[in-house]
Amino acid sequence: MDPFLRIGRRKLISLGGMSLLLTACGTGEFQGTAQQKLYEWSDPLNRSFEQLLFSSQRLAREFRREEIDEAGLLINTAEDTTPEIDAANYQLKVGGLVEKPMTFSLAEMRKLPYRSEVIRHTCVEGWSAIVQWGGLPLVEVLKLVKPKPEARYVFFRSAEGFQPEGGQPYGFYETWDLASCVHPQTLLAYEKNYKPLPQENGAPIRLASPIKLGYKQIKWVTEIMLLAALPEQIGYWIDLGYEWYGGL
Amino acid sequence: MTAKAAPAPRKAPIPKQALAAKVFHWVNIISLFAMMGSGLQIYNANPVFGGRAGTHFPAPMMIGGWLAGGRHWHFFFMWFFALNLLWYGIYIFATKRWQNRYVAKNDLEAIQKGKNPKRRNYAIHRLIYTSFIPILLLALLTGLGMWKTVQFGWIVDLFGGWQNLRTVHFLTIPAVLLMMIAHSLLALNVGQWKLVRSIFA
Repeated sequence: MDPFLRIGRRKLISLGGMSLLLTACGTGEFQGTAQQKLYEWSDPLNRSFEQLLFSSQRLAREFRREEIDEAGLLINTAEDTTPEIDAANYQLKVGGLVEKPMTFSLAEMRKLPYRSEVIRHTCVEGWSAIVQWGGLPLVEVLKLVKPKPEARYVFFRSAEGFQPEGGQPYGFYETWDLASCVHPQTLLAYEKNYKPLPQENGAPIRLASPIKLGYKQIKWVTEIMLLAALPEQIGYWIDLGYEWYGGL
Repeated sequence: MTAKAAPAPRKAPIPKQALAAKVFHWVNIISLFAMMGSGLQIYNANPVFGGRAGTHFPAPMMIGGWLAGGRHWHFFFMWFFALNLLWYGIYIFATKRWQNRYVAKNDLEAIQKGKNPKRRNYAIHRLIYTSFIPILLLALLTGLGMWKTVQFGWIVDLFGGWQNLRTVHFLTIPAVLLMMIAHSLLALNVGQWKLVRSIFA
């Protein structure tokens, strides 16, 4: 974990979300207020612009196997301890606004269509790395559970979470727009660089896609829920202040 | 600036600038400083040179306070920066300013072989402010390639990869700063403070 981010996160846990956003600005309340205002103006515009450019059909560039940058993929987690999930007993729950709520074991997911992609994984921090992900395209799961027509967003819950001293347990979660979820390169990945997904990369199942920034690609996914509207809390990093769409 | 004592000095006219040129300069300089400050904030999350172990820029140079804040400023001011360039581009074409305002062959000749130092200075200045155009467009192009890399993957390929793209995007900062300094000094040299002031007031 990068100390630069860790300091921010520790402070955040002790102070609570919004107050960190302002105190971390250091240069004062004015900049914090101005920043919040200009974000409120530009974020919806940026999101519309990004959605206008986005197409569920357009694939992100894929690379050759030799181009994989094994060391390039850094690990950022919200918590310092990595969740340990017993793969044999793992169950992925898929529910919410669907015709047919289902649960999947890892063995069942491996029997469903498989996709391998060597793509550029891009972090909000600015670095990127060529990585291979293998797994089940999320769209295949959605086809099985049959989203109801009013479903527009997808909520993901992770096994990751933490409990600040004396505070409430705080789970890691994420939400995506449905269009990005049905993109063919959006995977429930169980393979990284042609090997089983390592624990620190989100085993047994993580979200992986070249169309969103790394912080949107939630690890240790345990539950998927389809929603008609975004909930109050829309994502761990987003609730701290990062933009929700996070599209590439 | 040698001949000082001369016959009755003529009163130099106060330079006048088109309103469009003033608006362009104001929006450009404000959005550029906002883009540079917030850009360094983003840079610090993972320095282009050296990654996390690389050298970080000091806090007073930055805008945003942390990575997400820097991004908010960057993705707000990018619209002012880009649209300002766009309308100004249309304006210089529509008013035919492009025909005689920017560096041309005769300026390059004056720089290389010119005997008249004033003409030479003028030619250098035209070269400097003309080169703002490709540098500002380069900042925009490399930024677009990183922000919308799925749609504009060809920009990443054009620069031969992500790290090169980041590096070029970053290098537009020192390039712009150096040109700002040269542009201001040359303007001061030619028309003193009143010329510099005329483009903003």
